[in-house]
Amino acid sequence: MAPDFGFWTLQTLNALQLSMLMFLLSIGLTVIFGLMHFVNLAHGALYGIGAYVAATVAGVAGYWASFILAPLAVTAVGLVLYTGLIRRMRKSGPMAQVLVTFGLIFAFLDVTRIVWGDIPLALEVPDLLSGRTSLVGVEYPTYRLFIIILGLTVLAALALILNRTQIGAMIRAGVDNDAMASCLGINVEKLFFVVFCIGCGLAGLAGAVAAPVLSVTPDMGLHILVPTLIVIVIGGLGSLKGAIWGSLIFGFVQTFGAVLAPQLSSMLIYGLLAAVLVIRPEGLFPARG
Amino acid sequence: MFRHTPLRYATLILLFSGAVFQAFTGDYYGLEILSEILILAILVLALDLVAGFGGMISLCHGALMGAGAYGFALLATQAGLSPAVAIIVALILVGFIGCIIGAICARSHGIYFIMATLAFGQMGYSYVFDAPGFGGDDGLTGIPRPDMSALNIDLGDSQTFALYCLAALCAAYGLVVLFLNSGVGRSLVGVMHNEVRMRALGSEVWKIKAIAFGISGMIAGVAGILLAQHSMYVSPSIMNWTVSGEALVVVILGGLGTLVGPIVGAVVFVVLKHQVSALTSYWHLVVGCLLIAVVMSGSNGIFGWVETQWTRHLKQRQSPRLAPRSEPTSHQETVKDA
Amino acid sequence: MLETTGISKSFGPIHVTRNVTLKLEKGERRVILGPNGAGKTTLFNLLAGVLRPDQGAIHLCGSDVTSLSVAQRAKRGLSRSYQKNTLFDGLSIRENLGLAASIHTGNAKSLWRDPLGRPEVRQIVEEVANLVNITDQLDNTVNAVSYGTRRQLEVGLALATRPSVLLMDEPTSGVGPEMSKAFHRMLNDLPRDLTLLIIEHDMDLAMDVADTITVLNYGEVVFDGLPEAAQGSELLKEIYLGNWENA
Repeated sequence: MAPDFGFWTLQTLNALQLSMLMFLLSIGLTVIFGLMHFVNLAHGALYGIGAYVAATVAGVAGYWASFILAPLAVTAVGLVLYTGLIRRMRKSGPMAQVLVTFGLIFAFLDVTRIVWGDIPLALEVPDLLSGRTSLVGVEYPTYRLFIIILGLTVLAALALILNRTQIGAMIRAGVDNDAMASCLGINVEKLFFVVFCIGCGLAGLAGAVAAPVLSVTPDMGLHILVPTLIVIVIGGLGSLKGAIWGSLIFGFVQTFGAVLAPQLSSMLIYGLLAAVLVIRPEGLFPARG
Repeated sequence: MFRHTPLRYATLILLFSGAVFQAFTGDYYGLEILSEILILAILVLALDLVAGFGGMISLCHGALMGAGAYGFALLATQAGLSPAVAIIVALILVGFIGCIIGAICARSHGIYFIMATLAFGQMGYSYVFDAPGFGGDDGLTGIPRPDMSALNIDLGDSQTFALYCLAALCAAYGLVVLFLNSGVGRSLVGVMHNEVRMRALGSEVWKIKAIAFGISGMIAGVAGILLAQHSMYVSPSIMNWTVSGEALVVVILGGLGTLVGPIVGAVVFVVLKHQVSALTSYWHLVVGCLLIAVVMSGSNGIFGWVETQWTRHLKQRQSPRLAPRSEPTSHQETVKDA
Repeated sequence: MLETTGISKSFGPIHVTRNVTLKLEKGERRVILGPNGAGKTTLFNLLAGVLRPDQGAIHLCGSDVTSLSVAQRAKRGLSRSYQKNTLFDGLSIRENLGLAASIHTGNAKSLWRDPLGRPEVRQIVEEVANLVNITDQLDNTVNAVSYGTRRQLEVGLALATRPSVLLMDEPTSGVGPEMSKAFHRMLNDLPRDLTLLIIEHDMDLAMDVADTITVLNYGEVVFDGLPEAAQGSELLKEIYLGNWENA
């Protein structure tokens, strides 16, 4: 029984949806790494917090309130994190950063358990986006379509900001050569801070958006960490192009791999990661070099 | 360079006596914890070898341990080999895997090296999870302990098993010290300090890294085999990257590059885990905060801190006119510089 | 002993090395002079194997080593000291020299024997320490000794592999006149069958030590000959000091 056209369309849409979700999560992390050379493993934990806040707020005020408030809440957490810890660790070596943010993951894991308990939370898809839409010959869940559209919108907005605005130019300059950018009068510290907070906000948004689709558990931040690292390493550190390409590669390899070669699929993506790290560690589309 | 100072000797003797004491006075629960500490100590010893003396921070050592565990389990149960032979074959296999990983990652450095080992470890994890015959998520059961009845030793007894693990730890420690003082071991330290110069002097750096990772892998494999024999059960969860992460945390908590420090770290970690878990289920919060505190303090873990204090104390006691002899400390003075 | 035939190297549009041909006989002492940016260190990188030439070949003791790696060339008797100290900081001087010596004697390959205990290694360590005058500092850590001592160790490491050809990149860089003279004496004490290629800015040292002088400018060889000829050369004065008429 050969899979028909509808099947492939469905899988493509699934892959796109996964890619967009990963994109929202990875863009913040990759620019933080590219700009600040800071390895923030706690990024995954922020995603988890976003999901939890969203689930809580939605229970009280509905989905759309959580859609706005969750990213804001996570941005606030990011602010505190930055001033309290990250700013001090910026000059330390990568090992120290890995360890400290690793410690943060552990700490956040239990903090979410303390605040929200151990039972997985659920978040309902809003009425506006429930049900299915007819598209290109298939019936696809509207909410997943929403995720795809949201991801593409964020991509477009970021591309516009990075390429067409002053602040975008400053960010690109900072990623390319922060010392030089500083000499040119760009307040690199402030820039880092702004970028960091936006990155956190996007992670929170990713969590809020993913919550209806995945279950909200204390270790969801831990689980998403390795996939996020895969995306930014393969795609290339520090660039928008790297984030989107890495996300697409990840999304498609995972989705189609699971369908076509289930036994090999998980090994495949890790094999790809290892290959990139060894052969071309800067990734496919790095911001520098 | 690794050297035994009086402080290190004293700590080792203390640890050894403590273990023997616990083995002969502990109840069943105490003996189980002792075995857990000893097995973890072997794993972190393996990790400190490459991380503290080779500058290769690895996140795949949990997977190497798991490879040893699964290798032994499959060879002893499904391939029908006797446990003793299964141990030997499993160790050779894991050593070989370690060599390959070390060789492939030889040109990677810093965060890229860490992530490359993570990738390899996760490859192992997903393979074991999905491959037929490995038991999937349920794992494998019915793993035997070696039959030493010819020597009148019954490894089924908790106390005897704990002493068996202690013997393994001592052997592993001796092997690591022997290696570090050998030509290849010293070359490894040379590579960590200045890879460029080692090449310029004629050293094949990738070979040194591969050999070190192979030996380290084998020792991690020993830990895995003991783990499998201890619980007589293996599951894929022992191969997940979080296990490697925990091993790294223990090494850092104890003291990177001191060999003795990680063993101290293993004791503290396991004891703390059991004590804290008895009081609260928020063990991860404790570990997380502890780790952050250790890293931000700038000291090299618990044992590293003790060593620094001791050296300071010794220098104060010496006459100021004597030139201070350089005390051996680990290469990474603080984790922050790594 | 060491021969390059027409080696060139470019980085994009920048030609750092242009068609350089050198021939050093066994035991020859040659000094390379040239203003900053002339491509001297790049030449060393090409000779040592850090860089591969775009064109041309390099022969060491008669065999073609152009495609060999740094370590392979080192094993064939090519040694190098760096302008910027490239030492094993954190280890003692004895351990530094011991590493180099053990690689040379093959003891570095042992999986259980300590090379520092081997007589052949100890002998080399003592000889080299003597030669570069750091015998009294052997048990001190590199971090704890003076810059001058470190500079001497820098050369010591290169000598501990008993090379047949030694490339020295500005060995007296950053040291005072006293130490410079000591270096001078040390260079004259080296075995006569050791071929030396030295990058130097110190003219007195160059003129005294060199059998021949090669001058590089913008990546090409502009002078190749005896020190006496170099001293009187108008071309050299212009390269180093500029052309007053055009100023």
